[in-house]
Amino acid sequence: MPELKVKGVTIVETFAEAFPMVGTRVIITAPTAEWAMISARTMTGFATSVIACGAEGGIERILPKSETPDGRPGVAVLLFTMDVDKLQTQLRNRVGQCVLTSPGSACYAGLEGGKKLKLGASLRFFGDGWQMSKVIGGRRYWRIPVMGGEFVCEDKTGLTTKAVGGGNLLVVGKSHSAVLAACTRAVRAMADLPDVITPFPGGIVRSGSKVGSKYAGQIASTNHAYAPGLKWHPDSELPPNAEAVLEIVIDGLTADAIHDAMHAGIHAIAKGGARDGVTHITAGNYGGNLGPHHFHLKEIVG
Amino acid sequence: MTALCFQLKGRPEQRLDLSPLVPARLDGLNRKEIEGLSVATTREAVTVGDVFKVKGRDVQNLHFIGTDNRCDKIGAGLTGGDIVVEGDAGMLLGARMKTGKIAVHGSAGVLAGASMTGGEIAVRRDAGDQAGGVAFGETFGMKGGFIAIGGDAGDLVGERLRRGLIVVGGNAGDYAGGRMIAGTILLQGGAGRYAGYGNRRGSLIFADKPRHLLPTYVDSGVMEFDYLRLLETWLRGQGLRIRLGGRARRLVGDMAVLGKGEMLILS
Repeated sequence: MPELKVKGVTIVETFAEAFPMVGTRVIITAPTAEWAMISARTMTGFATSVIACGAEGGIERILPKSETPDGRPGVAVLLFTMDVDKLQTQLRNRVGQCVLTSPGSACYAGLEGGKKLKLGASLRFFGDGWQMSKVIGGRRYWRIPVMGGEFVCEDKTGLTTKAVGGGNLLVVGKSHSAVLAACTRAVRAMADLPDVITPFPGGIVRSGSKVGSKYAGQIASTNHAYAPGLKWHPDSELPPNAEAVLEIVIDGLTADAIHDAMHAGIHAIAKGGARDGVTHITAGNYGGNLGPHHFHLKEIVG
Repeated sequence: MTALCFQLKGRPEQRLDLSPLVPARLDGLNRKEIEGLSVATTREAVTVGDVFKVKGRDVQNLHFIGTDNRCDKIGAGLTGGDIVVEGDAGMLLGARMKTGKIAVHGSAGVLAGASMTGGEIAVRRDAGDQAGGVAFGETFGMKGGFIAIGGDAGDLVGERLRRGLIVVGGNAGDYAGGRMIAGTILLQGGAGRYAGYGNRRGSLIFADKPRHLLPTYVDSGVMEFDYLRLLETWLRGQGLRIRLGGRARRLVGDMAVLGKGEMLILS
C-alpha cells in the first residue's frame, strides 16, 4: 500500500481513539474583553485532563458584544467530564470560585437542550437571602449582591452527553522547534472552529500518557513508545531521526466537531511542515477496544 | 393561507365577549360554524356573523379589523397563534393567556393581560387600569410573559404581578406595581402617586425619578446593574430600543411588607 503523504509529511495509517464525555458551555461576560478573558482563563485553569484535574476545559472562542446576552464582551467556555455528577460539581466549583470572584463578571448558559446543569441555581445561596431572581424571556437569572455590585448568573445551563474527549494528533519531527511550530499552527487553526477545545497548555501536550504503569497506584505513565530518548527500546514507534513528539488533544461537543478540528489540524501541520522538519503525523489509540470513537487519519485527510 | 379576519360591521349594541375567537376554539370549524358562535353578553342573542364580516381561513393567524372598546376578551385564554387587532380592544384583552402573541394597533381597555401566564401583548397606544392585573376570580396578577404598552397605562399597572415584564412607553397612573409580588415593570414616562405600594420582591424601573416616592422605600444609592444591560439587550431582540444603560439608583422596599423589592431609577 502506498504511503499517504501531505506536503511531504507522512500520515501514518492509524486512528485516534476517543471516548464519550459529557460537556457543557457557559458564556462569561465582563466590562472589558480583557476581563472576560481573565475570568475564562481562571475558570479553565488546571483543566487539562480528567486524570487529575477533575475536568477538561478551555476557551472555545471570544464573543463580540453583539453575541452576548448582556451586550458586553464575552468568552465561550467548554467544560467536559466523564459523567454528569462530576460535571455539575466542577461547574459549580469553577464558576463559583473563578467567575463569581472575577471583577464585573456575569455568567450565562451557552448550551440549550433537555437536560440541565445548575448554574445560578446553586450559586445563588452565596447571596445569603439577598439574591433576587429575574425571569427575562422565559429564562431565569439570579442577581447576587457582591462587593463589586451584582453578580448576574443564569439559573441553569444545558449539557450534552454526546460529547467526545481524547481526539488527538501526534506530531513527529526532526527537531523540537519544528514540531512545536507545527503544533502551534494547528492549535491556532482549531481555535477558529466551533464546539471544540484543546485543553492542554497552549493546546499542546508534551507528555502523552499510556494507561497504567509498572508502579502500583500510578494510573497513567509516560507514553514510552513515543519518547525519543527510548528509541532503543523494542516498543518504540519512532523512526531513527525523530527528535521530538508533541500531541494535540481535542475535546468536542460532537464527534463531527472533533473530525473537523483534526482535519484543520493536519493540514495546518503539513503546511510547510516537511521543509521545517516535521516527518510524521500519527495518533494515539489503545488498539480500538477501549473507546467507541475511531478517527482514522486517512479518512480525515481526504 | 390568508389570516382569518373579523371585520366589525358597526358599533355593537352591547359589549361583546370575543373569548371564543381564539385558534384553539376555531380550529376545525367551517365559516358557517364560526359565524354561528355566540359573542353576546346580555340576554339578547348576538353571533359572530351578526357583528363581523368574516374572511380568510388561517385560524392560527387572526385579524380583528375596526374593533372598538366594546370588544372584550380578545385573545382571552389564548394557547397559541397570532392575533392582530386593527382597532381598539375592550377589557380583559389576552387575560389568562398562556402563550401566543397579540398586537393591538389602537388602545386596550381595563385588565389587559390580567393573570396571563405567558406570551406577548403589544398595545401600540394606551392601556386601561390594571394592565397585567388580577383577572376576576384570581389571586395573582400576571404570572409570566411580556406586555408592551406604547402609550399611557392606567392605575394599578402590574397589580399583584407575580412574574413577567411590563413596559410602559408613556405615563402610568397611581399605584404602579401596587401589591406586586415579583416581576418587573419598566416605566419610561412618569408615574402617579404610590408607585410600588405593597411591593414584596418586584422591580420597578423608572427612566426618570418619579415625583412622589413612598416613604417606605430605603435609599441604597447609585451603582451598576448588569441586569439592566441584560434587559436592554433582550428588549432590543424584541424590537424595542430602550436605553437603560447600566447605572441606576436603587431604592429598596416596600418596607411596609416584605421589603425585598426595589425601584431602580436610571441616571
